Amino acid sequence: MIAGRRALVAVGMVACVLVPRGPVDAHEIGTTRVAVSFAPAGRYDIEIVTDAAALAEKLETVAGPPHPMGTTPAAQSDSQLAALDAVFRKRLRLEFDGSPAHPAISYAIVRSADALSPPVATIHLNGEAPPGARHFTWTYAWTFASYALTVRSAGTAVSTQWLEGGQTSPPLPLAVPAAPPDRIRTAWRYLALGFTHIVPYGFDHVLFVLGLFLLSGRLRTVLWQVSAFTVAHSITLGLGMYGLIAVPPSIVEPLIAVSIAYVAIENLFLRELRPWRVALVFAFGLLHGMGFAGALKELGLPPSEFLTALVTFNVGVEAGQLTVIGVAFLLVGWHCSGRDWYRRRVVVPASLMIACTAAYWTVARLAL
Amino acid sequence: MNRLASLSNRTVSVLVVAAIATSGATLSAHDMWVEPTTFAPAAGEIVGVRLRVGQDLLGDPIPRDPALLRQFIVDDSEGRKPVVGRDGLDPAGYVRAATAGLLVVGYHSHPSSVELPAEKFNQYLKEEGLDAIAALRAARGQSGAVGKETFTRCAKSLLLSGPAGASQRDHALGFTLELVAERNPYALAAQQDLPVRLTYEGRPLAGALVVAINQSRPSERQAVRSDKAGRARFRVSDSGMWLIKAVHMIDAPPGSTADWASYWASLTFALHAPAPQRQAS
Repeated sequence: MIAGRRALVAVGMVACVLVPRGPVDAHEIGTTRVAVSFAPAGRYDIEIVTDAAALAEKLETVAGPPHPMGTTPAAQSDSQLAALDAVFRKRLRLEFDGSPAHPAISYAIVRSADALSPPVATIHLNGEAPPGARHFTWTYAWTFASYALTVRSAGTAVSTQWLEGGQTSPPLPLAVPAAPPDRIRTAWRYLALGFTHIVPYGFDHVLFVLGLFLLSGRLRTVLWQVSAFTVAHSITLGLGMYGLIAVPPSIVEPLIAVSIAYVAIENLFLRELRPWRVALVFAFGLLHGMGFAGALKELGLPPSEFLTALVTFNVGVEAGQLTVIGVAFLLVGWHCSGRDWYRRRVVVPASLMIACTAAYWTVARLAL
Repeated sequence: MNRLASLSNRTVSVLVVAAIATSGATLSAHDMWVEPTTFAPAAGEIVGVRLRVGQDLLGDPIPRDPALLRQFIVDDSEGRKPVVGRDGLDPAGYVRAATAGLLVVGYHSHPSSVELPAEKFNQYLKEEGLDAIAALRAARGQSGAVGKETFTRCAKSLLLSGPAGASQRDHALGFTLELVAERNPYALAAQQDLPVRLTYEGRPLAGALVVAINQSRPSERQAVRSDKAGRARFRVSDSGMWLIKAVHMIDAPPGSTADWASYWASLTFALHAPAPQRQAS
C-alpha cells in the first residue's frame, strides 16, 4: 500500500502509475526528481530533489582529490554544496530556443529524522525566460539513474517524462494552449488509481477485505461489514483530503496492520456476525480511510476537478474491494461455504495466515 | 615492490580509466552494488541496506522496487532471512546484526530491458570485457545494430559484526551470476590475496573479466580474467570500500524481444585502515 509516510514513493512509483515509461526502459529509477515551473510572467523555478550525500560525493570528486579512504563525506551542509556551485553548474544545462540560460541557484539540505535515511538536497534554479522564448531543453548529468522531469506552466497541463542521467530532453514548449479540464478523463484516471491501490498494490487492504469475507459465507454478513467499512473509510478519506483531520502515517500504518490481525483472529472465535463486529469494522474503516487519504495526497488532485477525483478514487477503491470479494466468493464461497469442512479447512487456516502476516507487518511497521 | 608489481605474474591488467564524474564522459553501462549504512555493525544494530547504481563507486541510491525485486536476503549464522523494507524508499531494506559474524546480504533483480545505440553498445561490450559477444555480433553482421538486451542484477555485500575470523565465510546465495569470496576479506593476512569465485547458474564461469575497484582510487582497477575454476585473485590491502564485479552476457532466450541477456554480479566490503604502529621509545 502506498501511504502518507512513504514520501519518496511519489517520486518513482506514483510517477510510474501516472506516466508509464515506454517499452524501452533503461537504467534503474533513482530518487532524483526535477520539477520545472513557469510563472505567467516568464519566471521559472526548477526544483531538483536528490540524495545529498550522493551528490556531494560526485561534486567533491570532480572538485578535488578523492575522499579519505572509504569514507562517505559528511557533507552536506547547505554552504558546502553552495561552495561547489561552479562544479555543479558544469553538468547541467538549461537552454531556451538553443541559447544557454544562467539561473541563480540556491541549495538546501534537509536531514532525515532517523539516522539510516539519507539527507535530501533541494536545489532551486531561478531566472526569467527570454521574452518570446518558445521552447526549452534540460540536461542534468549528476545522476546515473533514470529520473522524472515534471513541467508545469501556468494554465497548462502538467507533463512528465523520464530521462536518463546526462540525457537532454527534447525541446519542451514553455506554454501550450490550456486544455480544458477533462472531467471524464480525470474520472477514469482516478477510478483506475483507486482500483490499483487495492489490486494489485494494496495487499494489506486485500487481506483485510478477505478477513471480512471469511467470517461467514452469508452474503448478508459480508454486505454489512463491507458497507460499514466503506462508509467509514469514505468519511476519513474525505476529511483527510479537505485537511480537516491529519494523523501521522507512523501511527496509521501500524494500526492498519493491527486491524487486519484483529479481524483475522476474531474469525477464529466468531462464527456469525455480531453488532460489535460491525462497529469495529467501522472503526477500522476510519483508519484505512486515513491511509487512502495519505496515498491520494501523494498522487495529487487536480484543483479544478478535486471532487471528481476524490469521488472516483473512492469508487475505484470500492471496485477493487468488491473485486477481491467477488473473486473469493467465486473461488471458495460459492461452492464451499455451506460445506461442513469450510470453516475447518478454509476459514481457520486462511485467517491464521492473514493474522500472522498482519502481525509481522505490525512489528515491521513499528520497527521502521 | 609495489602492490601492482606483486601481481604481475598473473593475468592482471590495471586499467586507468578516468572517472566518469571527472571526465564528464557518458559511459554506456552502470554498475550496481549494495552499500550498507555501515559495514561493521555493532551487535543488535539495524543497518540500512542501500542499493546504488553508478560508476567508479560514485552512485545514486535506488529505492526498493517490488517490480524488480526477485530476492533480497541476508545470510548469517542464524540462517537466511528476507531483507525487509518499504516499497519506494531508500534505503531499500534493513537488516539487524543479530549475531556476531559475517552477514552476507544479497539482492537479485528481475531482468530489465534496455536498448542502446550500436556505438554505445559496442563500447559497453569493450568496457566490460565481453569480447566474445562483440565477436559474435561481428560474425552475425550485427555490429552496427542497436543493442537490445535484458539485464539482471546480482549484487552482494559482506558485513562484519564483531571480530573477524578466518572461519567466517561468504556463502553462495544461488544467484544466476554470483561472486563468492573464498576467504574472509576481513581476516586476510598481510600480503594475502583475496580469491573470489565467479559462478553462472552454480557452475564456475571461466574467461570473464572480473574487476576490483577501491573507493579511494577508483581509477586504478585490478582486472583479471577468471580461470577455469571461475577464480580470480585480488590484492585488497587498501582500506575503504571495495567493489568486485563481473558481467556475463548470453543470447536472449527464444521468445524474448531482446537479443541479449546480461547478468551483473557485484560484491562489496569495506576494510578498516590498520591502526598506526607505535614507535619504540
